[in-house]
Amino acid sequence: MPESITLLALFEDIDPAANGIQKLRSMGVTDDQMNVISGIPMPGRVLGRPNAITNVSRIALVGAGLGMLSGVALIYGTIYLYPLYVGGQPLYPVPMGWIVTFEMTMLGLMVFAFLGLFVDSGFPSYTPKDYVPEISDGKIAVLFKCDSNQERPVVDALTKLGAESVKPAEARQL
Amino acid sequence: MSTDLQLPVFSNTTQEDLKGRWGMVIDQDVCTGCQACVAACAMENNVPFVGEDDAGYGRGMHWIRIERFWQGTFPAVKMTPFQPMMCQQCHKAPCEPVCPVFASVHSASEDINVQVYNRCVGTRYCGNNCPYQVRSFNWRDYTDARVRPELTTLQNQLNPDVTVRRRGVMEKCTFCIQRIRHAEDAASSEGREIADGDVVPACAQACPADAIVFGRIDDPNSMVSQKSLASRGYHQLEELGILPRVTYLQGESNVGNG
Amino acid sequence: MSATARALPNIRPQAAEQEDPREHLMLDPKPRGEMNGMVLESMRSTGWRYWLVTLVLGFLVLTCFFYAWYYLIANGLGVAGVNRPAYWAVFLVNTVFWIGISHAGTFISAILRVMKIEGRRPFTRAAELMTTFGLVQAVSSVFMHLGRVWLAYWLIPYPNERGLWPDFHSPLMWDFLAINTYLLCSTMYLFLPLIPDLAMVRDHKTGWQKVAYRILSLGFRGTEGEWKNLHTAMNIFAFAIIPVMFSVHTIVSWDFAMAMRPGWSSSVFGPYFVIGALHSGMAAVAIVLFLVRSTMKNMKYFIRPEHFNLLGKLMLMVSMAWAYFYFNDYLVPWYGGDKWEQILRLFIEKGPIWWLWYVLLICNIVVPWLILWNRKWRSTPWLLALTGVVINIGMWIERYVIIPETLTINRMPFTWRIYIPRVEIFLTIGTVSLFLLLYMMASRLIPLIPVWEVQEGQEAHMLRKVGKAEIPAVSEIG
Repeated sequence: MPESITLLALFEDIDPAANGIQKLRSMGVTDDQMNVISGIPMPGRVLGRPNAITNVSRIALVGAGLGMLSGVALIYGTIYLYPLYVGGQPLYPVPMGWIVTFEMTMLGLMVFAFLGLFVDSGFPSYTPKDYVPEISDGKIAVLFKCDSNQERPVVDALTKLGAESVKPAEARQL
Repeated sequence: MSTDLQLPVFSNTTQEDLKGRWGMVIDQDVCTGCQACVAACAMENNVPFVGEDDAGYGRGMHWIRIERFWQGTFPAVKMTPFQPMMCQQCHKAPCEPVCPVFASVHSASEDINVQVYNRCVGTRYCGNNCPYQVRSFNWRDYTDARVRPELTTLQNQLNPDVTVRRRGVMEKCTFCIQRIRHAEDAASSEGREIADGDVVPACAQACPADAIVFGRIDDPNSMVSQKSLASRGYHQLEELGILPRVTYLQGESNVGNG
Repeated sequence: MSATARALPNIRPQAAEQEDPREHLMLDPKPRGEMNGMVLESMRSTGWRYWLVTLVLGFLVLTCFFYAWYYLIANGLGVAGVNRPAYWAVFLVNTVFWIGISHAGTFISAILRVMKIEGRRPFTRAAELMTTFGLVQAVSSVFMHLGRVWLAYWLIPYPNERGLWPDFHSPLMWDFLAINTYLLCSTMYLFLPLIPDLAMVRDHKTGWQKVAYRILSLGFRGTEGEWKNLHTAMNIFAFAIIPVMFSVHTIVSWDFAMAMRPGWSSSVFGPYFVIGALHSGMAAVAIVLFLVRSTMKNMKYFIRPEHFNLLGKLMLMVSMAWAYFYFNDYLVPWYGGDKWEQILRLFIEKGPIWWLWYVLLICNIVVPWLILWNRKWRSTPWLLALTGVVINIGMWIERYVIIPETLTINRMPFTWRIYIPRVEIFLTIGTVSLFLLLYMMASRLIPLIPVWEVQEGQEAHMLRKVGKAEIPAVSEIG
C-alpha cells in the first residue's frame, strides 16, 4: 500500500499557485488533502479553493448573548441584591439598563470573537509545524498529501508550472 | 386577598406631596449674621480647620455658611438679608444618583440624605451636582495630628458621637443626626413618641435670635410645621424641583439689615 | 468671418495626466520581502537621537508622572488646585482629552476599514497604538482625581463580603464599564492584525528575540483556516467597535450632562463630545504620522503625502462638524434666557480668562479652516502636523473651558472661586511624556506598518485602461 507523504510546493506568485492547485487536483489530490499557506489572505475563489469555514462568528454571537445576560444581571441583579433608593429615581431604572446591557453585550461579542479565533485556530500553539519562513516574505506555499509513488510526477508537473521548490514538508519549530 | 409579588419597580415611586419627616425653618428676617451657628456646627460635628491659605482658596469646610450679598450700585447699596446655607436634605437629592459607590443615599426612615464616610472614594461628583454647593471635601489630612502636630490638643474638643473624617472623603450637614438618634433612643426607652423640641441641632441651639427652628414637619402641631406655612416662606432654587426640606422666611421689607 | 478668426478654447492639461500613479503607495508595489526588510530595518535602527529623546522622556515620566503622582497620593488632593466649586478640573480635562485622542485610532482602523477607504492601510496600526496608549493615560488621570484611590476597586462589580455593589444609576459606573470595554476591545483589535506581522518578525529574527516573537505570534502560519478566522474576527471587531467608540465618549459626556450645572446640563453633549474627540484625535494622528515618517527609516515609502491629504480632508470635515455642534451648544443658551447660563457665558467671554475662549475658537476653527482647504498644504506633512498641534491645544482648552471654568459659575454666587492648577500641570506633562515614551518603545518592538495589509491592498490595486486614460482601480478581492 503506497504511503502518503506531505509535500510543500513554494510559488512566487498567485497565477502559478492557482495553476499548480488545479494541476494537483487533476492528478488526484483532493481539496481536503491540500492547504495553502500565504503571507496575505487569499480568498478561496482566487486560488480555486473551496471557501474556508469559520466558527468565529458563531462563538462571537454566543459571547454577545452571554454579555447581554451579564449586563442585565449586573444592573438589575445587583439592585435586587442591594436595593437602595437614590435621588428619587426608580429602583430599577430603564435607561441605565440599556446603557449597561449595550456595553456588556459588545464586550461579550468582541471578547468571544477574540477567544473564538484562539479556539478555532488552535492558538497559541508552539509545536513544530510544516512551514518555511519564505512564506512571510510573500511566497505562496501549497501543502498537500499525495501517494509516495506519485512524488516524481507531481514534482515535475509543479516545477514545470513555475514552482520555486517542491520538497517534503518538514515539521519544524516556528 | 392579594399576594405581594415583589415585582421590580421600573417607574418612579417618589410621592412628591409627602412632607417628609425632619425639616427646618430659617427666619432670614431675624438672622443677625453672627455666625454662632457656624461655630456651633463645627464644634458639634468635628468640622476640621483648614488653615488660612486653603480657606482663602475656597476649601473651607463649614457645613453651614452665612451668605452675605449686597444689592444696588454705590452709593445706594443695601445689604440683603443674611442667608444661612446648609444641606437642604432634598427629597430628590441630585447628589445621590451620581455617586458610583452608594456613599450618598437617602434614608427612608429619616427622609434625609445621608453621607456614608466609610464608603466614599472621593470622586466628588456629588459635590458637583449639589445645586446649593453645600458639600465639603477633605482635601488634606486636616484632622490628623501626625500630619499637623498643632492639632494634638485640639483633639480633646472632638465630639465622640461623630466620626472624624479622613482625607479624601466628602461630608455635609446631617441635620445633627447623632442628636436625632439620641432623642429617638431616649423617647423609645421611655416608651413615647418623640416630642417637639426633643431634637435641637447645634445650629438651632446656638442661634441667639432663634432664627433656626427644627423638628418634625409631618407633625402639624410642631413649631417648625406651623412656621413653614407662613406666607413669607420659600424654598431656595425651588424651580429645580428637588424638594428641599428647609424653608426660608423672608419678608418684603425687612428690618435690621440696613 | 472665417473659422480661424475664432479663438481656440483655452485648454489646460488635466492635472491627473501629469500625476505619476507611482506616487500612490497602492500603485507602487515592492516585493513583500523587500517591504519586510524595510520595516525590520526601521525597527532595528536606533540612533543616538532616539536614545536621547527616550532618556529625556524617561526622566520626565519618572519625575512628572510617578513622583508627582506619589506626592499627590501621599498628601491628598489639597496639592492639586481643585476647590469648591471646581471639584473637577485638569485631571478630568486630561481624561477627556486622552479618551478623545484614543478615538482617532478606532476611527481610522475601524471606520475607514468598514468604508473600504484604501488609503488607511499603512497607518492603521500607528493610529490604533495611539488608542491603547491614550486610554492608559486616560485611566491614570481618572485614578489621579480620586480622593481615596486605594479604594478604587470598590467600583468593580464583584460579589464581596461587604455585601455591597456599585451604583449603576451613576454615570461614573457607565464610564467604568464603557472605558474598560473600549480599552480591552481596542487592545484586542490592535493585536489581531498584528499577529501576522509578529509572525513575519519571528521568521527574520534569531536568538532570544525569535523566542519572544514566537510566543507573541501564537504559532501563526498563514493557513487558509487561520486567515479566514482572523479575517472574520477582524470584521466583527471593525463593525462592533464603532458603536462602542461612539458610546464611550457619549458616556463620558454624560458625566457632565447628567449634572444640574449651568453650562453642563445640555442635551447636545453626547454627539458634541464624540465629534470633539475625533477632532483632537485626528489632529494627533497627523502629529504622530509626521513624527514617524520623519524620524524612522524607510517610512517615507509607506506614509506618503497622499495619506496626509486624506487625513487633512477628514480633519477639515470633522472641524466643520465640530463647529456646527459648538455653535449649537452656544446658540441655545445664548437665546434661551436662563440667567445662570447667561452669567456663565459672560464669565467665559469677558471674565478674567477671556482670552482662553478666543484662543479656543482660533485654534479649533480658524486655523483648520484656513489651512486645510488647500490640497498642497494638506499634503505637506509638517504643516499638517503643525495644524494638528494647534488643534490639540485648542481642544485641550475647550475641555478646560467646559470643566473647571464652567464649574466656577453655579447657582450659588457666594461660592464662586477661580481655579488655578497646581500639581496637575506636572501630571499633565507626565501623561504626555508617558504616552510618547510608550509609543517610542512600541515603535521598536513591533512593526508599525501592517505590511501584510499593504501588500493585500497593492495586490488589489491596478491601473485600468479606460479609453485613453489609465485609471487607478481597486478590486474587492477580500
